[in-house]
Amino acid sequence: MMAYTRDKARKPEAAEPPRLARLSGEWMTPRRRFLSALYGGRVDKVPAMTLSSVVTLEAMDIADADFPEAHLDAEKMARLAATAHENLGLDTVMPVFHSQLEADALDADTWWGERDNWPATKSHVLTDPEDFKVPSDYLKRRSFQAALGAIRLLRKRYPDVAIVGKVYGAWSVGFHMVGIENWLMGTLTEPDKIRRFLEVLLPASMMSAHAQFEAGADAVMWCDHANRELVSPETYRDFLLEMHQHISAEMGGPGILHCCGETTDRIDYFAEAGWDCFHFESQVDPHKAMSITDGRMSLMGNINNPTTLFSGTYQDTYDACMAVLEAGVQGIAPEGSVPLGTKMEVLRALADSCRDYSNAHRPDGRFVSHNGG
Amino acid sequence: MAQLSDIVSEIIREEIEEFLDDPEEMERNIELFAAASPEMQDIAAALIMGDNEAVDEMTREALDSGVGALEIMDDGLIAGMGIVGVKFREGFIFVPEVLVCARAMKAGMAHIEPILAASGAEPVGTVIMGTVKGDLHDIGKNLCIMMLRGGGFTVVDLGVDTSPEEFIAAFKENNALVIGMSALLTTTMPNMAKTVEAFKDEGLREQVRFMVGGAPVTPEFGEDVGADGYGKDALACVALAKELAAAMA
Repeated sequence: MMAYTRDKARKPEAAEPPRLARLSGEWMTPRRRFLSALYGGRVDKVPAMTLSSVVTLEAMDIADADFPEAHLDAEKMARLAATAHENLGLDTVMPVFHSQLEADALDADTWWGERDNWPATKSHVLTDPEDFKVPSDYLKRRSFQAALGAIRLLRKRYPDVAIVGKVYGAWSVGFHMVGIENWLMGTLTEPDKIRRFLEVLLPASMMSAHAQFEAGADAVMWCDHANRELVSPETYRDFLLEMHQHISAEMGGPGILHCCGETTDRIDYFAEAGWDCFHFESQVDPHKAMSITDGRMSLMGNINNPTTLFSGTYQDTYDACMAVLEAGVQGIAPEGSVPLGTKMEVLRALADSCRDYSNAHRPDGRFVSHNGG
Repeated sequence: MAQLSDIVSEIIREEIEEFLDDPEEMERNIELFAAASPEMQDIAAALIMGDNEAVDEMTREALDSGVGALEIMDDGLIAGMGIVGVKFREGFIFVPEVLVCARAMKAGMAHIEPILAASGAEPVGTVIMGTVKGDLHDIGKNLCIMMLRGGGFTVVDLGVDTSPEEFIAAFKENNALVIGMSALLTTTMPNMAKTVEAFKDEGLREQVRFMVGGAPVTPEFGEDVGADGYGKDALACVALAKELAAAMA
């Protein structure tokens, strides 16, 4: 019989409780953070994002993936897109850098650009809406092969990073296919024809959105350029509002509307259209935009490209981000695709400012509160 | 001093009353239209309404009846486009409306330009206009060109996607006083700086003045890229071109 000893009889120490994740500081994954912000929810840090393109010449060197090849090569596109997260610390990646995805697959005359120049549509192919038909191999064409392939690669490589797709809506595809001048003048001289164009072009944009969600995009940015520099708010209301209500309900995932330029006088319509989020430009006062939306949709973007990001310094950008964050927006991002000569050092201020702002506005250590610190 | 009631055209009177807020601008336009003949006022009114067929017909009729091409251009077409420009600048109308009015102006200018060209009238100067490399947007640039031509300039239009080398070649060929660069995309705006730099590299920078414009372009950005001036819209573009050309003359 074993001798009884005091050692053995000692009451065992209380078992350590299982280790729980520390829900303080930056504890959300970028993907979770982005999606929560997109719906106006709780976040550990205000996300810093790209919702357009943050590709720069420097990024091309880092990724060994240059324009224009990266537009039509899934692997290069994915590597280049990943620099937004890897090298700039952003919460999102966005592989469709250009605006030709749908138009090229619809036989528009695309010029794919150069290393330091963006692609564009060279001439317009459509004059009669009744002549238009979505090609049967539309989603298998070169621009889609590259974009959908890149989204799949990114999803596999970065399960925790948010992937944002990009769709040109029927209005903006119409600019490419019909010509912007013909299109805009047509809203006055032949409104029924423009409405018919929108009707026949919409399925191409919807197919693009669905395919990008299926490939692994977390959200899709829908670009329809009906900004103040081009048309009146009533034109948006009369030509696009009802269509956007349909799109935001049917596109198959979270939708971010992008519309360039000054849009203050139509943000109310955008919110009424049911978009989850609006990616807005620096011409719009973020305080005013927050007051108009009043929680009906999130607001992201607002950092000026030419003056702040391209011509400014790291500190200029940091300060500009802080000012926009103070307005309570749900996320920070460049207002549109940044010029290719923008310095990556300057772009790093996007993530740094969001980190510092959030650290100073997390009263419970867990969630950001714009009113607390 | 002319009064609003001195203007015969009811449309012009209403346009001035409704859309011109600036007292100086209002006074200038009242003087201008009150001094213009009823026919010229009708041409201006048709242009403001965007009626290209009416402008085409009325311009032809006026020329046939012996009215001078310059009078039709200044008192009818440009005067009408001036009102359109103010309405656009103040946000009462947008690009589609301006395009429709520009189409009407073009219809009138199609009759005027050959007559002016044949008359050998001395132009104010030569302006080279182009949308910068990588950018294919030209609505704003084309409106500026139309107004510059109306303002008495000879304009060399380089179209869209214009490289610095193309600007330089056109400058050497045309002895221009002013170069206007346009961009719609924030991604292509830096090509304005590249063009100015290319002129410096060639030792040509001091021989020409640069003006820039386009929806995302600001006066500050213009300064950053080394331009001599920024024009917010087509009206401002003409005023700026005149100022820069005078400085170079």
